[in-house]
Amino acid sequence: MKKIIYTFLIIITIIIIVISYSRPMPEYSPERNYIDLEEEILEAFILAKDSSTIQLPEGHFLFSQSLSLDGKKHLTIKGMGMDKTVLSFKGQEQGAEGIKISNSQNIILEDFSIEDAVGDNLKISDTDTLTINRIRSAWTGKVSTENGAYGIYPVLSTHILIQDCEAIGASDAGIYVGQSQHVIIRDNKAFFNVAGIESENSSHVEIYNNDSYQNTSGLLIFNLPGLTVYGNNIKAYNNKVYDNNLKNFGVKGSIVSAVPKGTGVIIMATKDVDFYQNFISNHKTTNLAVVSYEIFAADQDPEAKVFIDANESNGIRTIDSDFQKDQAYDPYPGRVYVHDNSFKNEHYLPTFSNDFGKLWFFKNNATIPDIAYDGILPMGTKLSDPDVKVCIRNNGDASFAFLDAANEFEYFSNDLKPFNCIIK
Amino acid sequence: MIEENIHIIRLIFVLPLCIFLFQCNPSTKNIPKAKKGVLATPLIINNTTENKFLSQYGFFKGELADLKPNKDVFPYTLNTPLFSNYAYKERFIYLPDGVQMSYKEDDVFSFENGSVLIKNFYYPKDFRMENGTRKIIETRLLIKENNIWKPLNYIWSEDQQDAKLNYVGEKINASWIHTDGTKKSTIYNVPNNNQCKNCHLKGKDISPIGPTVAQLNRKYAMLSEKMSQLEFYKEKNILKNLPEHKNFPKFAVWNNEESGSLEDRAKAYLDINCAHCHQPKGSAKNSGLDLRLSQINLRKQGIFKPPIAAGKGSGDLQYSIVPGSPNESIIIYRMNSNDPGVMMPEVGRSIVHHEGVNLITEYIKNLKVDASR
Repeated sequence: MKKIIYTFLIIITIIIIVISYSRPMPEYSPERNYIDLEEEILEAFILAKDSSTIQLPEGHFLFSQSLSLDGKKHLTIKGMGMDKTVLSFKGQEQGAEGIKISNSQNIILEDFSIEDAVGDNLKISDTDTLTINRIRSAWTGKVSTENGAYGIYPVLSTHILIQDCEAIGASDAGIYVGQSQHVIIRDNKAFFNVAGIESENSSHVEIYNNDSYQNTSGLLIFNLPGLTVYGNNIKAYNNKVYDNNLKNFGVKGSIVSAVPKGTGVIIMATKDVDFYQNFISNHKTTNLAVVSYEIFAADQDPEAKVFIDANESNGIRTIDSDFQKDQAYDPYPGRVYVHDNSFKNEHYLPTFSNDFGKLWFFKNNATIPDIAYDGILPMGTKLSDPDVKVCIRNNGDASFAFLDAANEFEYFSNDLKPFNCIIK
Repeated sequence: MIEENIHIIRLIFVLPLCIFLFQCNPSTKNIPKAKKGVLATPLIINNTTENKFLSQYGFFKGELADLKPNKDVFPYTLNTPLFSNYAYKERFIYLPDGVQMSYKEDDVFSFENGSVLIKNFYYPKDFRMENGTRKIIETRLLIKENNIWKPLNYIWSEDQQDAKLNYVGEKINASWIHTDGTKKSTIYNVPNNNQCKNCHLKGKDISPIGPTVAQLNRKYAMLSEKMSQLEFYKEKNILKNLPEHKNFPKFAVWNNEESGSLEDRAKAYLDINCAHCHQPKGSAKNSGLDLRLSQINLRKQGIFKPPIAAGKGSGDLQYSIVPGSPNESIIIYRMNSNDPGVMMPEVGRSIVHHEGVNLITEYIKNLKVDASR
């Protein structure tokens, strides 16, 4: 009898694998008629005076090199709308970014699209007070590992507003804020990316009214080791995160390449997270996971592991197996409050493409939990300790899995009662 | 031409194979076509007050293209220069009357306001006759003004009469007979004004790169057959604070075996070609790689150092430098590439510097694997 069940399971697995691998990658292929105004627009970027506005005309403009701004103040760059003004870097020969802004203050970017940069479409670093309005970042054609890494990418910056933007096709994160403080990400759409929206090592971040769908993972709230800046204090609410089951097409070795497909939201190693009134649905691995960095690192292919020198890196996102050496880093989530959200799932069978899916098969009656918590704690602490506490309540009839991953799943449980608490 | 020919030959062989196999990605990039647009109104008002032409500065006397320095303009050269698509360079320092530069032991010399560094890029028609006919492509100026360095670029006209101010860069066809007698050509990219910062930014400020004591410590026939450049400048009373001793650091000449060991020459080459970015104050500080000759930490030099921010630039290799195994070293992979997402240095060249790659390959081949790894 057992043999038959096992054979049956194996056959189902093979079918699932075949189905999941044969699904074609999605495609974003708008019609483009390129115009060459490279010299004129480049000149405007280079000679732009402080306290001025560059008004870009309507048209699909093709560039062979990056457009960069450094050390500017009070500068606005605006197009005629994200469907009308398109800056394309397809076939770019020089530079890695599409638009790169550094060491600046009070910068406004609005109403245009940025497409097909070799590296990141829009990168902003070391900048204070930045507004990104109605910008679309996209890689065109079939979604591919060859696509650039980050769509809209402020890093090491402060006072950032990203609103009414779209991010499509990034082989890392569509909208990504790294090592930054005081950030609002609202009313954006992200799809066909590995990670739709991501806050990483950033503090005082509010993420709301966003739609993130058809990515590998919808929303990541991460804190990673080996960097000079660590994040906490994140609020995420009124977001719709759904159907994020896209095959992971991240570059091997990058941290997001380790994100299992079919995860709606992952809150990792971050303290003070208030996650409420979100709508999360239809994920094959889990709708929401609260995990420590340990489980993330352990899930890795050992070959892909690399280590980094603390203090010397910034904006770096590779997997760190030496994270315990980083004294300033806290690899555990804490004071995470998941409440008043709505969870749904049309998928019944978990994916077999990652360890979580397999775990649900054997430990969770082959069902997908809405919320999963790894339960890995720092030495000498217990679940109810205020600093490491995770509270989960008022999420309708959301199903739950407590993994107890630190003890080989010994006390794996679906009981939410121990987590019915409030964090103020 | 050679580069293009290789592409065409590759296409001839690869394309039928591609069609046969239905799916394949020839490495040549598909660059879409764009038709030239016209602006109804200019995007900005360009009211620059800079000299429109190089001749206006009065750096040179006689025919401008002869680059004969005027009074207060002093030639200099470096032990090991940056590779720029095989272009030759003639360098000068302009110091206003009575103004000196001052010696620094381990940094670029310091300059006062009004000083200008002048770098001319040219191709001799035949590299075997370096002093024969030549074509000057561009002249780059670094002007010290209000205590900051300002980069300006002048592109030479086809008739070599003068060079015109340019902010946005330009692609120029360059061709020459190489040292081995073969005909070579390339697209030479004059950088745009922002790209100057790519290499010259140290922290938040622009800085010169070349004129350090170790680079200037050599003779230069244009100045004197007898004494080194340092001694010459001292005698001309334009260099102050030069210590009395003679034990100045000295870079090896990358392609002169008598000037230093393989390691010395390789490290000098990496220093000038890479370390303006790959150092703690450079724009590639996040890589953790420090290719300054002064760096003694082996890991920071790249030896068994895993990539950090390389992405696909790592070519699926594990370390920057694997002693004894150039083929497993990311540094060789990237020096050998012309793909903008992979190649290193990422600006300043469009063709591979084969002689440079050979030097670094030999260096890595001869590195001993350290057991203390």
